[in-house]
Amino acid sequence: MPFTTDPLLRPGDTRASDTQVAEPDIQETTDTDLPWIVLVWNDPINLMSYVSFVFQKLFGYSKEKADLLMLDVHEKGRAVVSSGTREHAEIDVFRLHEHGLWATMQKDSQKDS
Amino acid sequence: MRKRKKTGPVEALGDGVFRINLTDSERETMLAFVDQLEEVLTAEHTDPRLRRLFPTAYHENPDLDAEYQGYMRDELSASRASSIATVREVLGTQEPISESQLYAFMMVLNSLRLVLGTLLGVSEDEDTDDIEDDDPTFGQAQLYGYLGWLLEWTVDTLSNG
Repeated sequence: MPFTTDPLLRPGDTRASDTQVAEPDIQETTDTDLPWIVLVWNDPINLMSYVSFVFQKLFGYSKEKADLLMLDVHEKGRAVVSSGTREHAEIDVFRLHEHGLWATMQKDSQKDS
Repeated sequence: MRKRKKTGPVEALGDGVFRINLTDSERETMLAFVDQLEEVLTAEHTDPRLRRLFPTAYHENPDLDAEYQGYMRDELSASRASSIATVREVLGTQEPISESQLYAFMMVLNSLRLVLGTLLGVSEDEDTDDIEDDDPTFGQAQLYGYLGWLLEWTVDTLSNG
């Protein structure tokens, strides 16, 4: 594999350095009874196989369930991957960030969904 | 004569032991990129190269997010530093490695891809394979492709090994 060891992780000005992903537009809720949900957003960099594997590892999901979730993220732009207390959601978000996934959390907008 | 099963850059040897089949010079090259990743991780928080490594957690609430980043950002940095230290060991030996070492290798490969992909402005409609060899970002695009190939093998081996 021929490539140089010249610094390659330098910001360049030759190509767009903004990998933009649409900002979510979701109504904020204040109901404290609602659980928190963890969302993973589609991004053009992470490999599909990697995303599915991370879901299996972090949440113990089967390959089938993880693949479906990954496809949901890819096709619909985002998917809910876990839910629970705020503390629980923060831990999940942290672990997803550790793995380089684009995860955010918010209060669930539907009480009985 | 039986044909040997074709092996890739990452191989499961059984019993939770793995091997990365990279030459010494490939290892040295990878180590140089790991050094660069480590340097990027110490950049200013606002550095655009870090955007994908330290994303927003509370996308609808900047105050809660600031609070979250206040106590989680250092922990995330520490976690990345720990994976990098493991990967230095992994790349420094031709000996078989454990599953957790290979897992750290996977995470570092992915971090490198995220930084490079951000620099290259990778999007859904643009393929880095299309970058011409006289483009100044050609080297980055080549490396991006190489890391993707290596990561795919790593994920596949960890999934089935």
